[in-house]
Amino acid sequence: METAPVTLPSNETCLLSAKPRIAFFDFAGCEGDQLQIANLEEKLLDILAHVEVVSFREIKTGHADDYDIAFVEGSITRPEDEARLKDIRAKAKVLVALGACAAIGGINCLKNFMGEAFYREVVYGPQAGWYRTYAARPLSAVVPVDAEIPGCPIDRLEFARVVKELLLGRTPWLPDYPVCVECKMAGNICRYDLGKMCLGIVTRAGCGACCVTEGAHCWGCRGLFPSANLDAARQVMDNAGFDRRQVQDLMRFFLGDTRAGL
Amino acid sequence: MTAYTVQMEQLPGLFAAWSAQCQVHVPVALETGFYDFSPWRPGTEIAFEYDVAYNPLKRFFMPPREDMIVFDLETYTAKPVFAAPSILLFGVHPYDVKAVTQLDQLMESGSVDQNYFSRRDAAVIFAMTPLAVSDTAFWASVGADKVDQGFDLYWTKIGPGTFHVEIGSGRGEELLLAAGPLAPATAGSREAARKAQVRAKTLGASRSLRFDWRETPHVMGRSWNSSLWHRKAEKCLGCGSCNIVCPTCYCFDIREEVDEKLKAGHRFREWDGCMLNGFALVAGNHNFRPQASERYRHRYMRKGKYIFDKIGELGCVGCGRCVRACTSKIADPCEIFNALWEESRNEI
Amino acid sequence: MKSRTFSPYVPRPATLVSKSPLSDLVTLYEFVQDNGKNLAHKPGQFIMVSIYGVGEAPFSISSAPIKESNVFEIAVRKIGAVTKALSELPVGTKVGIRGPFGTSFPVHEFVGKDTLLVAGGLGYIPIRSLLHYQLRHRQEFGRISVLIGTRTPKDRIFTDQIEALAKGGDVEVLETVDMPDADWKGNVGVITTLLPKARVEPQNTHVAMIGPPVMYKFVLRQCREMGIASDRIWVSLERRMKCGLGKCGHCQINSLNACMDGPVFRYTDIERLEEAI
Repeated sequence: METAPVTLPSNETCLLSAKPRIAFFDFAGCEGDQLQIANLEEKLLDILAHVEVVSFREIKTGHADDYDIAFVEGSITRPEDEARLKDIRAKAKVLVALGACAAIGGINCLKNFMGEAFYREVVYGPQAGWYRTYAARPLSAVVPVDAEIPGCPIDRLEFARVVKELLLGRTPWLPDYPVCVECKMAGNICRYDLGKMCLGIVTRAGCGACCVTEGAHCWGCRGLFPSANLDAARQVMDNAGFDRRQVQDLMRFFLGDTRAGL
Repeated sequence: MTAYTVQMEQLPGLFAAWSAQCQVHVPVALETGFYDFSPWRPGTEIAFEYDVAYNPLKRFFMPPREDMIVFDLETYTAKPVFAAPSILLFGVHPYDVKAVTQLDQLMESGSVDQNYFSRRDAAVIFAMTPLAVSDTAFWASVGADKVDQGFDLYWTKIGPGTFHVEIGSGRGEELLLAAGPLAPATAGSREAARKAQVRAKTLGASRSLRFDWRETPHVMGRSWNSSLWHRKAEKCLGCGSCNIVCPTCYCFDIREEVDEKLKAGHRFREWDGCMLNGFALVAGNHNFRPQASERYRHRYMRKGKYIFDKIGELGCVGCGRCVRACTSKIADPCEIFNALWEESRNEI
Repeated sequence: MKSRTFSPYVPRPATLVSKSPLSDLVTLYEFVQDNGKNLAHKPGQFIMVSIYGVGEAPFSISSAPIKESNVFEIAVRKIGAVTKALSELPVGTKVGIRGPFGTSFPVHEFVGKDTLLVAGGLGYIPIRSLLHYQLRHRQEFGRISVLIGTRTPKDRIFTDQIEALAKGGDVEVLETVDMPDADWKGNVGVITTLLPKARVEPQNTHVAMIGPPVMYKFVLRQCREMGIASDRIWVSLERRMKCGLGKCGHCQINSLNACMDGPVFRYTDIERLEEAI
């Protein structure tokens, strides 16, 4: 299984200093991914010995503008977000999209299928007119992204691995195959064998099929795997007795930004 | 072949004796209505009537992820990792035994896979004549309804509470007699076992190849350019499920990870599958099987021809797991082999 | 139960003793094994190189087997994780190696015969191992012709050695580039444009060829048209070697494993394999 086609911009720009400075940023999102990182506890302390954290709102105060690696959480939902993200991109040698919102647009993209007046009213209520907002999008729609740690929330062990890979000068590895592989490795009973709908058949692996293992189904939070066959997947769901609306609802939940017709 | 008769009420004593020596795994009914192997504990209800274990048994000899070496980044040295858990698999159906003996042959040929045999040598296999067949299986038509090797004991249920047990190895006999002496088999019990095995074969014939399985490599040899590959692969999700659940698929990827101190690490192998898009990709992004149809064809060629060319056996034991696991319903070796035979039977 | 101590997956330590650039992207690395032993490879074989924490990748050995020297070479293009990490290693660093693996060019069959070596792009790396072996045992072989094709003049590797060889006159060297630059004065065109120019006696010639996947079909056709028997043609095929032991399945060419049954194949052994060429 080959490394997914996430490539660092050039070999020169990813040469990190001996003790890289890292910073965390967030846009439209719940900061749940940074919480996952804080939950690494002991492992986090070991990793932190190799880096210098210059900005991480969830675990420390203070901020500096001089950083090598930027971990960016959240999706871009307002025109003014773009300038801030571009500024981060300009300062960072490596920019990593952290979590589903940043990597694939994620749940925020639900609004892209609604009328603007409607979601403005839902989100901002009477103050709707005060804010600017536009269709939610992943970071990669605005700036080049060097690596992704997808998932809602991220798998903290994957975050640890990606940081270690960056420290070793590697392009972070991302599985380029679907959740089914890991689901079968885990020995789970296929959701389709139980008459349930599941997006594991199109979703990028790396989570260990945790949702299925815990009794739920795959929601697609890690985005499509690169060669996902959506036509075939739709037919599978159709044959399993789910109507177009049910399929659409599930696929739009996290995958709203995909170009595939949902 | 030496054989004994064992009564159902003797089993708790035997299982207690075995589980004192090793981890015993038995088929059990799951809440979902499927069956799978599960660790035995006192009180575990063994599903003698199981049709197929949901997951393949290869995981006992080649786990989904297995450390191969540990390395030290400071001294730049590496050491091998071997695991050899003592396990006993009770009630393995013949087709699954056959899958294991096939892995044995392939892992032994060329360079011996030490990691595989480390686990394999520590495992005991008690085969069992099937009492039920899953609706996707076709093992009887590929000669996998009965095996004559690869087991330590071969159990056949010959009455409501009676088993005929053939000895396959010294280790097997030792374990069988671990809780005290047993009655030797009689001519009657042997005959009853033979009948039960014939019944299994009949049972397993509900789905069959329409031709002698030994012809499969010839059928496959004529089918490289069949349009079937494209027709089927159109619906392929590229999810690798057929590979991963296959008891004879053993391809793997090798990766590694360092610890958080960046001082040491481990290199492991992980199940991989030829149906996954990146399987034949080389550095520089050249993919030697870029089309889904090529990957799809490769899997059937491997099952029907390549493995046969190596060891004289079909690479498919007819367990039917892939048929069930494929949500697109395109992974049915029985259907594929029959269709290709039909397509090409008039060719020489 | 026997306890196991040996694993073919454990690399042996080796030390990087020198590195020198061959082109913008290709670097020559020289190693010695820490156990002091000769690698004892054969021309055409490959090794697996490990950089712990990064991974392991297969590389053709570019040096000839030399009894008197324990140094062996690989030439590597910076293209993936391991090759990138290699490029950043300072001299004196350790790596892990496994192998040599796979089949080799059957030099004993070439004795007394002419040889035509066809190298496309980085295919020159393993061809060089064979060529340098032949040059060390020059009297055993007949005429040697080397055809080298690269995409652009910038992609040429071992340039000085090849030019010296061409000037020496003992070996026929023909070079071409697909896309010339302003300074290029040599042949232009794909490698098949060189074959008609080579002085080859088809009846007495053995061919060894390595190049990008697209190359083989055309060169093989030309060899056939020239009347070179298929059983005297040897091709080395690149695939995705991962384990080097014929197990992981990645390098399969129909029923063969490129890592054990290859990478060097007699053409007649693979000409009926749909996935080979």
